[in-house]
Order: sequence, then structure tokens, then C-alpha cells
Amino acid sequence: MPGVFLTAIRDGVKQHRLLWLLLGLLGLFPIVTSVADLPFWNDVAMRIMILGMAAMGLNLILGFGGLVSFGHAAFIGLGAYAVGISQFHGIDSGWLHTLIALGLTGVLGLVIGFLSLRTSGLYFIMITLAFAQMLYFFFVSLEGYGGDDGMILDRAEFAPFDLYEPLRLYYLIWVSLALVSLMLMMVIQSRFGLVLQATRSNAGRVEAMGLNPLRFRITGFVLSAMIGGLAGVMFANWQEYASPAIMHWSRSGELLIIIVIGGMGTLAGPLLGAIGFLLLEEFLPEIIGHIAPQYAENWMIIFGPMLVLLVLFVRGGLMGLITSRFRGGG
Amino acid sequence: MLFLIAAGLTLVLGIMDFVFLAHGSQVMIGAYAATALTAWTGNFYLGVALAIPLTFVFGLLLETLIIRHLYHRDHMEQVLASFGLILFFNELVRIGFGPAALFSNLPPMLSGAVTIFPDAPYPVFRLVVIGVGLLAAVMIWLLVTRTRLGALVRAGASNRTMAAALGVNIALLQRFVFAIGACLAGIAGMMLGPITTVESGMGEPLLILSLVVIIIGGVGSVQGAFIAAIMVGLVDTTGRVLLPHLLRSVMDQATADGAGPALASMLVYIFMSVVLVVRPRGLFPPKG
Amino acid sequence: MKNIVLATAISALMAAPAMAESVKIGFMTTLSGGAGVIGKQQQNAVNLAMEHKANTLGGFDAEVIFVDDQRKPDVAKQLANRLIKSDRVDVIAGVIWSNLLMAVHKQVTRSDTLLISANAGPSPLAGERCHPNFVSMSWQNDQTPEGMGKYMQEAGVKSVYTLSPNYQAGKDMITGLKRYYKGDIVEEVYTKLGQTDFQAELSALRAAKPEATFIFQPGGMGINFIKQWKQAGMDDVSDLYTVFSVDAISLPVLKDAAIGTLSTQTWSPDLDNAMNARFVADYKAKFGGYPSYYAAQAYDSIMAIDHALAKGGSTDAATMAGVLAKGGIPTTRGMLRMNSNHFPIQTMYLREAVKDADGVATTRIVSTVFENHADAYAQDCTF
Repeated sequence: MPGVFLTAIRDGVKQHRLLWLLLGLLGLFPIVTSVADLPFWNDVAMRIMILGMAAMGLNLILGFGGLVSFGHAAFIGLGAYAVGISQFHGIDSGWLHTLIALGLTGVLGLVIGFLSLRTSGLYFIMITLAFAQMLYFFFVSLEGYGGDDGMILDRAEFAPFDLYEPLRLYYLIWVSLALVSLMLMMVIQSRFGLVLQATRSNAGRVEAMGLNPLRFRITGFVLSAMIGGLAGVMFANWQEYASPAIMHWSRSGELLIIIVIGGMGTLAGPLLGAIGFLLLEEFLPEIIGHIAPQYAENWMIIFGPMLVLLVLFVRGGLMGLITSRFRGGG
Repeated sequence: MLFLIAAGLTLVLGIMDFVFLAHGSQVMIGAYAATALTAWTGNFYLGVALAIPLTFVFGLLLETLIIRHLYHRDHMEQVLASFGLILFFNELVRIGFGPAALFSNLPPMLSGAVTIFPDAPYPVFRLVVIGVGLLAAVMIWLLVTRTRLGALVRAGASNRTMAAALGVNIALLQRFVFAIGACLAGIAGMMLGPITTVESGMGEPLLILSLVVIIIGGVGSVQGAFIAAIMVGLVDTTGRVLLPHLLRSVMDQATADGAGPALASMLVYIFMSVVLVVRPRGLFPPKG
Repeated sequence: MKNIVLATAISALMAAPAMAESVKIGFMTTLSGGAGVIGKQQQNAVNLAMEHKANTLGGFDAEVIFVDDQRKPDVAKQLANRLIKSDRVDVIAGVIWSNLLMAVHKQVTRSDTLLISANAGPSPLAGERCHPNFVSMSWQNDQTPEGMGKYMQEAGVKSVYTLSPNYQAGKDMITGLKRYYKGDIVEEVYTKLGQTDFQAELSALRAAKPEATFIFQPGGMGINFIKQWKQAGMDDVSDLYTVFSVDAISLPVLKDAAIGTLSTQTWSPDLDNAMNARFVADYKAKFGGYPSYYAAQAYDSIMAIDHALAKGGSTDAATMAGVLAKGGIPTTRGMLRMNSNHFPIQTMYLREAVKDADGVATTRIVSTVFENHADAYAQDCTF
């Protein structure tokens, strides 16, 4: 039995070579930064991994299930507040925080998913946004926990690791990302994953097979919400701060952008998209600053049309670019 | 106001089956055009009169250059492309007009207040806004139900291929509908300018609200949008004004002060969720 | 022998650059998006300060790196990290928003970098979460509404209706007001953050007929509120008192609509001292238009760094903070005293929106509300 398991993993790794290549590179990245003496870039990489993780979770229902959720940032926020609020009440264990976050996002994902999945298309986009907005305003009004100002927090105690030691947090995030990738890979290859993908292209057929598409969609939604929650736990520890800004609707939009930049419905796409998006955010203002310093803060004027052009001319995002290159090359 | 934006948006969204989020930008452009032209001509009415065709042309241009390439893409890509457009127009306006907000003044005739009910004077301009909203509603209704053009639009919406096969120029039709939508949003912006500030990104808070209106009304239904706009307005306003009082009568002051405004901000979204849970396609889904 | 000469020469050469010591300052503010106007003012003021000091602060060659936080906490956090680890700055100054300051505070202070707030002053950082490496060159959030509360109390205002946005600072403002105003509060209304239409609130206010109305509606909200207040003819119903709503950011937009509005503030363009006169005159000449208090505080932050370096002679965070903690900092607000929690003890003025000789809207000091006003949280602060 374990042998079958391992074969499945090996096949998956082969199939999604780029994903594991990226993960491998991210794993070795701190060596590069320490040799080149660029410790700051570790921080960027951590942010990339966290957002990438959340985007991968969202991609499960968006790319594979065809459900555009415009409220996924809410789950990241819930994860972050699970850390913040437990710490406020004296619970310092990061393992426990993670458990609470997963439970909370799981339950809320189930409720929101159950209600939202009655609708479809544009209505689904908007109802998920509505739930995210409710949660956003809920946390804004939680005065005891800092409200809009948010709450400063300490890095959690992930015994036996001390996250204040250099690189401990980096590898905690990295390991969670790798685990999430592994899990998503298995899920997509499983019978469940295949049915979920089938619901996107032809829900009627799934029904005809005697399966209830709603149940598969809800399960997918809950799973993707929990991954968002895990990303939120990491986010809170990385930022040492939790605030409603984490779950602002524009971040849900950011996640969508990341997925589309990277390539919808591919495993590595969201991670690639996160790399692309955050590097652009980092470098575009600087590049413009060199060409026309007075317009450096107007970098969005380049970024906006880039998005439009990407959508117009590049099918399948960065993944599309890369795979078509591979095929074209031979 | 909300209806104007929502009506324009529902035309684009429903009839053309296109998810377009840069409507806020069209609102903003309308407001800037009217303000700039008012400053240039020195006359508010002339400024607005010139700005309306301008927003129409703007809609035509946008459709020809970008939007028509996106009709056959999926919703996600449409969302993203329009998001890119939002960013672009916001920055364009910031570079063109400076980052500071503009102030649009009203002619004296419209800037006073009238007393309709004793002890409750109401700003004249607000009445004008309501009037324009009603006028637009009547005109769209006439356009869609009473003219040949409207018939074509409806035909195009219900069955695009069939209409095309019958010799209707769908591409031209879509361009026209999109431009009307842009124009309505632009007019909303012109009405909004004198009440609030004319600044970069001014359309975005309204965008989500107008999407809420469309969803509640049923995508593609103009009358649905009209009724939903009134309902959302009512829910929002009564929520803001009455809810804190209501809560105060059931709980103590401090808790009520905390919970009231939070609940009021959520009310519109709660309302929408309830509508959607009960009727997953909005209150007035278009037939067919 | 030859070798020794060579070695001496080399060591002399090596020592030469070290003689002219340098200081690196990271200035974090919001340059993009709707709040970019405020950030631009701060950037202008910092550039002006550097020009006035000929790029030398307290004898150190100074360099300022501006970063745009986009008003997002996580972006701010990452930028702070870059400034500390990559640019290796000695000081991080600026930060307009309370939530952003909260987001960067821990990381900056822990890295032994001096953190100077040029605007935000959330209560946790003045009390329990205070830190020796953090210094405020602005105010604690509650101080300004406290001033307004005291003024309204002394003016004998009987009833007040308050309107502020539903977020932390909005609640802090009302807390501050109530600390000194003991009259009747008819209603505490919390509006939605970013609200643009206040018609419903104004109608309710009209029905309540309070003697006075107190608002905290910063930025675009204030512009909208005051505009609609005038359109609805509310001046006949109630007297309007404001904090952080009528300033050099909103006045150029509001113009005549805001004339006569009262507000409290720790600074005003007409404040009478040499440094302020030079700052305001040069700012107007260079950038056209009045500076706001955001700009003045940014200017003061650079002056504070100058003072700390001149007195302490070191870019070490603890040394600089130690100098600043003693007070006596020359700023556009005169000599600034400091409290035990590294927040200023300062004078609070009542300002009125007026037109200057050229017909440009600005603010003028009417009276002094508080002399040497300290914040309410200092006793909770132990380093």
C-alpha cells in the first residue's frame, strides 16, 4: 500500500516538474541570499510563498472547479486572527493556532460554501464577496482586538522551533507550502479531483453519473478555505501583526490576479504568478523611477495595461507561456 | 444615482453577458469631464451638455479598442482586464489633473435648499439628481420596449447567434449598448461631482454597491435594477440611522455603539446574501 | 621602511572616508493612491528640510530614501524590512497611518533602528507597547480632540452631536473629546469608513437640533461632509467643530465652503517662530500652496534627527532616542518638550479657516487651548 502511495507521488512529481523545481529553488534560496548578503530577499520570498499558498488553495476551486470566489482573502484574515486572538488570550502554541485556524476556516468555509454554492456565475462571485465584506466589517468593529488598527503579536511558539532564530520561519512556511502542494497534487489526481474538474466542464454529466456536484464543490470550497487559513497563520507570524486589511476585497482581487498571471487550473501556476506579481510590485516602481523619476509612484499606469495585454494576448498566463515554449522547442 | 450606474452596468453585464468592473472609471471620467468643461466654459450647464457626448464617445472608443476582444473570454479574464483598466484610468487622471481632489461648484440656482416639508429643507441639487434618475429610467424603458433598437438589443441578448443569422449587426449593436452604459455612468459621475469630491478612484466605492444592486435585481433586468437600487438605498439609509437606536433599546450603550455601525455596514451585504440564498438568480431574473 | 610609509598612506586613505560620517534615513509615506496627496506633501517637506540643512544633519552626511507604503500594512512591513536589511538605514521616519505604524513598529524597534512617527500616534504605542527606540514627532491620537473638548467645555456648549468614521481612530477621537467635554452628548454616530454621502446623517442631525456638531472626517470624507453640510444649509442648525478634517489638504478643494470652520491642532501655518516662518514661506514658494500639518511634522522629523545627531554625535538608535527623550527639540512648533513615553508635550491651538491676503484659504490661530498638553497614556509606559 505505501508503495502505491509513493508511486503516485513520483508520477505527480514528474507531471508537475515545474512546481517541484520552483519549490526546490525556494528551498535553496536562503543560501543564495546569505552568500550574496541580501537578507532582505528572504522576506520577499516568504511573502511570495504565503500568497502563493493562498492562491494555490483558491485555484483548487477556481482553476479546477471553475468557481470564481471573490472573497478568499477573508479566510487568510481568519487564519491571521486565529493567531492574534488566541495569543491575546494567552495561547502561545503555534500548533494550536494552526489547529484553531484550520477548524475555524473549515467551519466557516462550510457555511459560506453551502450558502454561496446555491448560486452560480456572477452571482457566486458577488455572494462570496458579500461574505468577505461582512467578515471585514466584523473585524473592523472588534474594538477589543484593535479594530481597524489591528493587533501587534509575537511569533508563535512552534515547539521545538524558535521562530525568532534566523530562517526558522522561512522553512516553516516552506514546509507548509510543500505540504500543501503535495496534498493538492494528490487531490487533483484522486477520484474526487477528477469529479471536481468534471463539474466545471459538465455538471450535468456528473449528475447523470449519480453523483451530486454540489457535494464535491462544497468539499473543494472547504479545502481551499482551510488552505487560506493556513496561509493566514503564516501571514500573521511573518508580519507579527494582524489587521482587517488582510481581508480587504482588493486582496481577494490580488489573489485572482496572481492566479491568472500564473495560469489558471495548473498546480504551479499560482506560485509562479505570486513570484511574477510580487517581483513586479517590487521592481516596476524602481524601473520607472530610473526612467522618469517624477512618475515613480504612478507605476500602476504601466501595471494596468500590462494586465489588459496579458489577458488579451497570453492565454493561460505564465504557465501558458512556458509550456507553449517547451512544446514549440521540441 | 445608484440606479444610473447600476442601469448602465446591467446593460453591459446582462445584455452583453460581459463582466465589466471598470464602470467606476467611467463614473470618474464623467465627473472629471464635466468639472473640467465647466471650468473651461465657465458654465455648469454647458459643461455637462458637452461632457455627455464625450462620455459616449469614450465608451465607443473603449469598446473598439479593448472590450470587443474580450466578449468570448471567460468571466475571470474579463474581471482582470477591467481591473487593469481601473488602475490605468486612476493613474491617468492623477497624472493629468494632479493627485489632489477637484472641487466642482454648482450654479447658484441649484445650490440652495428648498423646504418641502416644514422644518426639513432639502438641497435643490438632490432633487435634480432624483429627477435625472427618474428621467433616465423612463428613457431606458422606452428605448428597450418601444423602439426597434430596443427590440434588436433584446433579440441580441436572448439569442445572439439567431439575431446575427437574421442579419442584425451584433458587433455594432454591442458597441452602441456599451457606449450607452458608459454614458449613463458618466452622467452619474456628473451628478456625483458636485455632491462629493472629484478625485481619482472616486467611482470604486460605488462600483461594489452598484454590483450589489444588479445582483439583487437580477442581472440584465433594468426594472430589477431600478427597484433594487431603491431597496438598497432604503436598507442602507435606515440601517445607518435607525439601527444604532434599535440596538440601544435592547442592549447597553457601549455595546450598541460598537455593534450598531458594524451591523449597518454589513446590512447591504446581508440583504444581498439573503436574497441570493432565497432566490439564486436575483429578484427579477430576466425571462428566457 | 618603504612598506611602513605605504601602510601609513593606505591607512590614511582608508580613514579619510570614515572621517565624514554619514546617516541614512528611510522615509516611509503613502505616495500612490488616493492618499498620495498627503505623502507628496511630506516628501516635499523632507526635501525642503534637507535643502535647508544642505544635506548635512548634525555634522553627518545625510541621505534620505523615500518608500511608498501604498497604505497597506503588509507592504509597509516589507518595505521596513528592506530599509533595515538591504539599505541599512539608521532611522525610519514618516508613516501616516496608525495601522501601518503598528505593523512596522515591532520589527523596526527590535532591529535597533530609530523609528520616528511623523503623523500616526495610536494609543498602544504611547502606553503598554511603548519602546525606547520609538519617538513621536506628531501627537498621540487623543490629544487633538482633547483640545477641542476642552474648548467646547469652556465655551459653554450645552449639547454635542458627534460624527466620526467607524474605525479605531474614529473611536479614539470621541474618547479624547469626552475626556474634557462634560456636557450632553446627544448622539455618537459612527459613519462608514470612506463614506461619501452623508445625507441620511445630516437629516437625522437636523431633527436632533444639537447646539454643536463635532466631526472627525479625515481626507476625502471631510471634504464631502463639509460640502454637503453647506449644501443642506446646516450652518443655521448647528455649529460645526472639527479635528483633522479642515487642513491644507482639504482647504484647496473646499475653498469658500470651509471658511469660518473651527478646528484644533498643534500647528498652524501662521504659528509665530523663525523656523516655521521660513518653512512656510519656502514651502509656498517652492511647491505653490500652503503646507499641511503632515508636511510640518515631516519637516520636524528631519529637524529632530539633526538635533539628535548634533547632540549625541552617533547614529546609534539608543543614543539618538536618548537625546530626543530629553526634549528641547527645535521644530516648527517651537522648542518641543517630550514626555516619558517619547511623545511630545505640546501646546494646542484653536484654528479658524480664513482667507489670506491673496484670497487663498488657510488656517489662522484664534487662541491657545492647552499649554504643554501631555497625553493620557504615558503612565502605562515603562521601558
